[in-house]
Amino acid sequence: MILGENIHEAVRSLWSAKQRSLLALIGIVIGIGSVIAMVTVGQIVEEEAIRQFREMGTDICMVRLMSKAGQRSKRGGMPLGTILAIPDECRTIKTVAPYVSMYSQLTYGGKRANSSGLGVTGDFQNLFKIPMVQGRFISDLDGSSNYCVLGDAKAQWLAEQGVTDPVGTQIVYGGKLYTVVGVAGAVPGGTFSPYEINDGVMIPLAAALRQPDRPQINVCGARMRGHGISEEATRQLKEYFTFSARQDVRVTSAEELVQQMDRQMRMFTLLLGAIGSISLIVGGVGVMNVMLVSVSERRKEIGIRRAIGAERNDIQMQFLIESVLLSFVGGIVGVGVGVGSVAIICRFTGWEFFVSTIAAVLGVGVSAAVGMFFGYYPARQASRLSPIDALRSD
Amino acid sequence: MLELTDIHKSYSLGTVDVEILKGVNLSVEPGDMLAVLGSSGCGKSTLMNILGFLDLPTSGDYSFDGRLAAGLSDNELSRIRNKEIGFVFQQFHLLPKLTALENICLPLVYRGVSVKERKERARVLLEKVGMGDRGHHRPGELSGGQQQRVAIARALCGNPSLILADEPTGALDTATSREIMDLFLSLNRQEGITVVLITHDPGLAKQCERSVLMHDGVVESL
Repeated sequence: MILGENIHEAVRSLWSAKQRSLLALIGIVIGIGSVIAMVTVGQIVEEEAIRQFREMGTDICMVRLMSKAGQRSKRGGMPLGTILAIPDECRTIKTVAPYVSMYSQLTYGGKRANSSGLGVTGDFQNLFKIPMVQGRFISDLDGSSNYCVLGDAKAQWLAEQGVTDPVGTQIVYGGKLYTVVGVAGAVPGGTFSPYEINDGVMIPLAAALRQPDRPQINVCGARMRGHGISEEATRQLKEYFTFSARQDVRVTSAEELVQQMDRQMRMFTLLLGAIGSISLIVGGVGVMNVMLVSVSERRKEIGIRRAIGAERNDIQMQFLIESVLLSFVGGIVGVGVGVGSVAIICRFTGWEFFVSTIAAVLGVGVSAAVGMFFGYYPARQASRLSPIDALRSD
Repeated sequence: MLELTDIHKSYSLGTVDVEILKGVNLSVEPGDMLAVLGSSGCGKSTLMNILGFLDLPTSGDYSFDGRLAAGLSDNELSRIRNKEIGFVFQQFHLLPKLTALENICLPLVYRGVSVKERKERARVLLEKVGMGDRGHHRPGELSGGQQQRVAIARALCGNPSLILADEPTGALDTATSREIMDLFLSLNRQEGITVVLITHDPGLAKQCERSVLMHDGVVESL
């Protein structure tokens, strides 16, 4: 029997049992919809997690000092001279940004607040892509002068104290007087950028090293000369520190981290897809149920068709096409419902919405496959009916 | 054309085997108009199922145009039903969701004939059975006699060499029965189609050239 005839017949038959078809359709719609929604949400979350790295560039890495036992060293710190010589000594590294973290008291106009602080060099801004709202960033020419740049949160604190134009204002941090030269904009938080950028004040590295509690350099950000060279850079940096400072460092590259995250997220997406698939199976069983009812209701029709000359294959194909069509339509609607619900989720969470074409195409394909799989048994049953038994039934 | 030799057919009902046909011998020549007369329960419907390749005999040989039914595959049986045989049933057995025209051309659907060709053929046949103006009606909108006419047109659609009619007038009133019977007679006389008519009505049997009596699972000549 010709395909077109079968499709025509299937539409007629599904349409004549509207209520039943609709219920089976809902099952498939929910199944495909949830698979699409889950997988797409998984992909969006993955994109979200990785985006901040992309913005910062995947060519950055962090060098951390380790003690011999593999723990972070508490004494000594990395020698500044050794760090600043890295771009000359390791050809994979373009720029370095050593920094120290502090925690001290911030005073302005008699008001006090506890605040973290960072001692930074000029390259720090470029490395962590810090936007400036006002004024300028710390420069290497500042030497150990008492200049400071306010993080987003601290600028707001000053605004609460009535300072709307903080550049030029003098504040006290850790007992010393600093002149504000700039206000930094907010930076997205993450594993790589130090949280103090938003939350604290930034002062020249040389000035920080002269603080009474003698902070030490335990960590240094670096930007590589290109992408895909993180393994080589890691090796060079480790060797360099072993030879020139007898120190053990751990190098974490954004690239490596993104890869790790990618792996984790893929697992996560897979898991979500698997959960969604359960409802798809339930939907498939619904289709099978409807098809079984349809076969038993149409035994007489099967008998008539067989008497007139339909082969077993013709009957099987007729019912198979019916279930595939049902699932296929459910799949298309399901993709729509899935994408729609993702759009709603994104609206509420503020995630960046996108439609995964692969998921959509796969969703429709899978739905047809579900129809084929769950429709096979009823269709086969229909084709195996003996013509006279089928003719006799009412 | 049809040759039945010592046909037996039994069904098993649980543990008991019930023998319906007990050695039927019958031959039908091309162009025959044969009535198989018998009371209900004598096995005439079972005989028709075997003649129509809807069922296979338990033992005995049935040959159709020299082809033995035993040993044919299910697909081959379907093809013979499709090309060589036209069925007319007591209960019409039309598909209720299809129009008269669609019902008529159903045998051609399974031969892969194009829609246009099918429609044309169906329309010609509809005219022939005197229903030219009812092509787009569904069976539910037609009277019993009209439905049987459509069923006869369907049986003729595939250009069969044999028409098997099982109590074709059983559900119709006397006047309509006569019309349907006339239709069969004219098909046989004018077009030479072999007709095997199964009936319990001696009056109908008398109109046929030849009739045989079926009694308790065997065929006796009259």
